[in-house]
Amino acid sequence: MTVSVSPETFTLVSYDAAEIASIIDDLVAAIGLPSELDVRLEVDESTPLGRASVASIDPLVITVESGALEDPKRPRNLSRTGSADVLGRLMFRVRDRLDPAFGEPPDDDKLTLPQSVAWDAYCVGRLVRLGFTHYDNRQRRLYHFRNRHGFSDAADDAFERLWTADGLSWSDITALSEGAVGTSAA
Amino acid sequence: MDPESAESFDRARRQMHGIFVGEIQALEGAGRTAFDYTTDETPLQMKLDMARQCWDEARHVEISLRLGEHMGTEIGEFSEAVTLFEAACHADPVFRLAGVNRALEGLAIDVFTTMRDFAGEMNDPVLYFCEDWMLADEVTHVKMGSDWLRRLTEKDPERRERALEFQRVVDKLFSLGGFRGEDDDSPIRLARRFRELAGFDESEMDDLAEISREAKADADRMREKLIVEATA
Repeated sequence: MTVSVSPETFTLVSYDAAEIASIIDDLVAAIGLPSELDVRLEVDESTPLGRASVASIDPLVITVESGALEDPKRPRNLSRTGSADVLGRLMFRVRDRLDPAFGEPPDDDKLTLPQSVAWDAYCVGRLVRLGFTHYDNRQRRLYHFRNRHGFSDAADDAFERLWTADGLSWSDITALSEGAVGTSAA
Repeated sequence: MDPESAESFDRARRQMHGIFVGEIQALEGAGRTAFDYTTDETPLQMKLDMARQCWDEARHVEISLRLGEHMGTEIGEFSEAVTLFEAACHADPVFRLAGVNRALEGLAIDVFTTMRDFAGEMNDPVLYFCEDWMLADEVTHVKMGSDWLRRLTEKDPERRERALEFQRVVDKLFSLGGFRGEDDDSPIRLARRFRELAGFDESEMDDLAEISREAKADADRMREKLIVEATA
């Protein structure tokens, strides 16, 4: 496995490519991605916004805007826990996609917003249990989930199952999401 | 905030943290304005209005804190600025009324309206109720600023004009590169109806929209310049 970070030297933000690579190394090992998978991270340091996405699965190419890795309390500096949170969520998605037993989810840009938020809850729940914590991630993901599914006990129950689960398939996730959508009082 | 954007909830969380920090500074500012002047400089009734505003701001701090918990945000998770407090430290009470009560509490009207409407679209009953409640207080704070500014400068139009110029400076600072405006991509929308209730006239709101457009153009130019410098 090789890990590369682009650019190798940052000029607009104070990031260290080697430190970012070490975060990726830790995540790859903990999440259980295939050892032969090459990983490339492309950082757009010209924008402080925070979008992050998977551009390719094999080799794994992740593109991020520099704000996605930034410590909001120390502008232009790297947040190690925040970076692990952003990258770990995407890498768990990749692990799921590479697992034949998981099923075949649509491409990321074809996911509905409730599906995407439900899958994120499942990914980040596992990430937190591996020790990659970043502020109150559970409540943050619950808030996202409620907004897309409903502010209701039924939605909270579905979230809890996603957050604490391991070994779910894509159809499990969509069933939990569909069962919770629209359960809030009008 | 566009509910169809995948990033909208994290933007709302960051916004809520900014509101929380702003409420602390607004509490400090109103407290100082109630305390700092003799009754020759500011009438007792104005001091009482500032004291009432402190009461409101303290409540807003607590509400914002609980809303942060509701949205999964911890205190200190995001950076904070002290520009609001700095505007509340001007030596002249009339400038404080213009800079804090009219410019910054006016911004609060825009922010709370945007957050309330966002919560309404997402059927979030907690955020909607709290924002609507705080919005009513902000309209009162701006109205107090408009009324006292008018009364204290009744016989001194030059002082009033200088204070309003200070307000425009603060408004531009807080337009934050087009952060607040009337364009579709403005994260915070100018809440004309509530501003009207708070004592703003139409021309002031048109000026504010123009200031916001200028701030966005300035930010775009600065970003281009930084990129050119970094890649040179």
